[in-house]
Amino acid sequence: MKIYIHNSNCIYPQAAFDKLDEVALNLSENNRLKAIEPTYEGIPKGVLRRMGKAVRIGVGAALPLISDKELVGIILGTANGGMEDCVRFFNQIIDYDEGNLTPTNFVQSTTNAIASQIGLMATNKGHNSTHVHAGLAFENALIDAFIQLRHNPESQYLVGGVDEISDYNYNIDYLGGWNKTEPTLNTELFESKTKGSIAGEGAAMFLASGAENGAQSCITAMETLPSGALEEVAEWQKVFIGKHFSSGQKPDLILTGENGDPRELPFYNAIESLYPNTTFARYKHLTGEFPTANALGLWFANQILERQKVPAVMMKKGRTESIRRILIYNAYHQSQHSLMLLTKV
Amino acid sequence: MGRIVVTGIGVVSALGNSLHENHRGLIAGKNALTRLELFPTKYAETRYFGEVKLTDENLRKELVLTDKGISRTSLLALKAMSEAITHSQLQNSRLESKNTAIIGANTVGGMCHTSEFLHDSTSLDNPSIYISSYDNGSVTRFLQNQFGIKGISNTINTACSSGANAIAYGAELINAGLADRAIVGGVDTLAKFTINGFNSLHILSPEICRPFDNFRQGLNLGEAAAFLVLEKEEDAIGKEIYGLLTGWSNTNDAYHASSISDNGDGPYLAMKRALEMAELQPSGISYVNAHGTATENNDITESRAMMRLFENVPPFSSTKSYIGHTLGAAGAVEAVYSLLSLKHQELYPNLQFEEAIPETGLLPVKQYQRAEVRHVLSNSFGFGGNCSSLIFSAV
Repeated sequence: MKIYIHNSNCIYPQAAFDKLDEVALNLSENNRLKAIEPTYEGIPKGVLRRMGKAVRIGVGAALPLISDKELVGIILGTANGGMEDCVRFFNQIIDYDEGNLTPTNFVQSTTNAIASQIGLMATNKGHNSTHVHAGLAFENALIDAFIQLRHNPESQYLVGGVDEISDYNYNIDYLGGWNKTEPTLNTELFESKTKGSIAGEGAAMFLASGAENGAQSCITAMETLPSGALEEVAEWQKVFIGKHFSSGQKPDLILTGENGDPRELPFYNAIESLYPNTTFARYKHLTGEFPTANALGLWFANQILERQKVPAVMMKKGRTESIRRILIYNAYHQSQHSLMLLTKV
Repeated sequence: MGRIVVTGIGVVSALGNSLHENHRGLIAGKNALTRLELFPTKYAETRYFGEVKLTDENLRKELVLTDKGISRTSLLALKAMSEAITHSQLQNSRLESKNTAIIGANTVGGMCHTSEFLHDSTSLDNPSIYISSYDNGSVTRFLQNQFGIKGISNTINTACSSGANAIAYGAELINAGLADRAIVGGVDTLAKFTINGFNSLHILSPEICRPFDNFRQGLNLGEAAAFLVLEKEEDAIGKEIYGLLTGWSNTNDAYHASSISDNGDGPYLAMKRALEMAELQPSGISYVNAHGTATENNDITESRAMMRLFENVPPFSSTKSYIGHTLGAAGAVEAVYSLLSLKHQELYPNLQFEEAIPETGLLPVKQYQRAEVRHVLSNSFGFGGNCSSLIFSAV
């Protein structure tokens, strides 16, 4: 597999990558870590007003990347799309007893509203898809990109992951046991011993191509595994590494989706036990947990390769010198796993 | 690149609870659109729907499931997928392999359970039984767990073209060497969310829908599930083959969030690119299973797109005239109907049609008929301008 990343952009809860060690971290409130939104200069005010948050941050992160590009298609991962609009429409249904309702929330709430809005604003008539498979939605968007690039290797696709925190998906995750019940700051996330994580949100967008020329980095391998069995996951991690690293070789950095939930920790410990002396970094105290958070994981890895620097705030252990290959491992709800290998071009 | 064959199909819809019942219904040419018996909504008595007349309890019993927290969407999907797998005679060892992909599609997930969804999304205690079953992906995760499938798993939601895109994605995985076989399909259940959503857009017909008719008044919503087993031809030796999947495409109309451009650019490109992939001339198409929702906008733009593409528009019909628009399932259900048309060399009529749209003069298939069917084009267009076409070909 070869997906070259030519550029990236994100909207997420923290400052720009190179400011991460200079400014204090944005803190979670009520166990939610909210995205810092820009002013959205490129979006007409009337259009912006009608956009729900997922659409807004998705389109907002995409537009700066694509304004001067010839795109062949748009491929997104989002588990929930616009949940806020979705429940607003449900509230209309209840409040007006299934009467005459206004359709805006309904149209905005469909998960494909983000990719289609980008298609509309970029008048892009190419491949346009939305993958919604929870913790593997973004990874499937990457697989889709890989598939499409086989047909058009020289072309560029917009690929990304987006999810929002609304009260509604927060509550559903809370009731499902995925959010911590006691107030926890993101800065204390990894010390927490209670189950669940803190909720996050964000959008990360990439220009992906099969062409190496001008690229920043390359996804040279990616695999996903649906499994809740620790042994099976640990074995799969080992096999993946065996396929891509000969003995004596190792990734320069392993970036994990560790999220402060002790139920997820064994999966992360499994990969750490394979490389006791490797450098480990993590990012979910910067983003919070959400199904497509690993899109930000990839964004961080790409930034790290570009700038040859791991922000101190992300480091778990070890030290970094030259960084050429980063292994990204993420587990979602103890049942959806992905491994990705990002290599400097 | 080897050919991709369909070795198993399964479907449950208002027309019937099995492939056989659906086939019989298509031949009989009787629509299954009724008032609602099972699903409570204010519109139960004033609109027509394609309702599957099986309660959740009936479904659980038939599927031998005791967990009450499985959404109706997952139940319908499991029923159709089980039938497809049975027909394909896929051995368990192959099914459970990491080279088997499962790709589902739906638009409502478990949101059909309105009161539970509203409770769970607005409370911090007493979760309902459906707490893990709301998101679109939950349906495919349930199916994957039921069958122990270990390969690539995915769920697609591109609104009304979701089912078609799930099929295309599965085929692409096989061609790219990322899977040896793929179980692909779509499902959706009736939900207050979609009923009121389409009503708010004023496109729910007060009468039984009349696709491509000059006096059409909108669509009827339906619920259904359909699944296909895609395999490489070399792995399917000795198996009954329903047809080949030879072409697919995904384009965007990039015109409006909920309607298609006047010239039908998205639909035109979708059909054209699917033909290019199948290496067919437009004249090679024997039958078009049209998107044909019976909305003012869809039928005229789809007609214009067909007239742009085809010198002589081939026989076409909308099988939504039998079961309504089943949203995320539609592309998969219509793929199954297209395969039945190929397999049995017959064309299914477009019901409730009386008068052509004057601008186009296009007449859909009006009677059941035997015909030589070589290549079937199946269209699925959705909100957000998402347009997809599939081509199935005789072996």
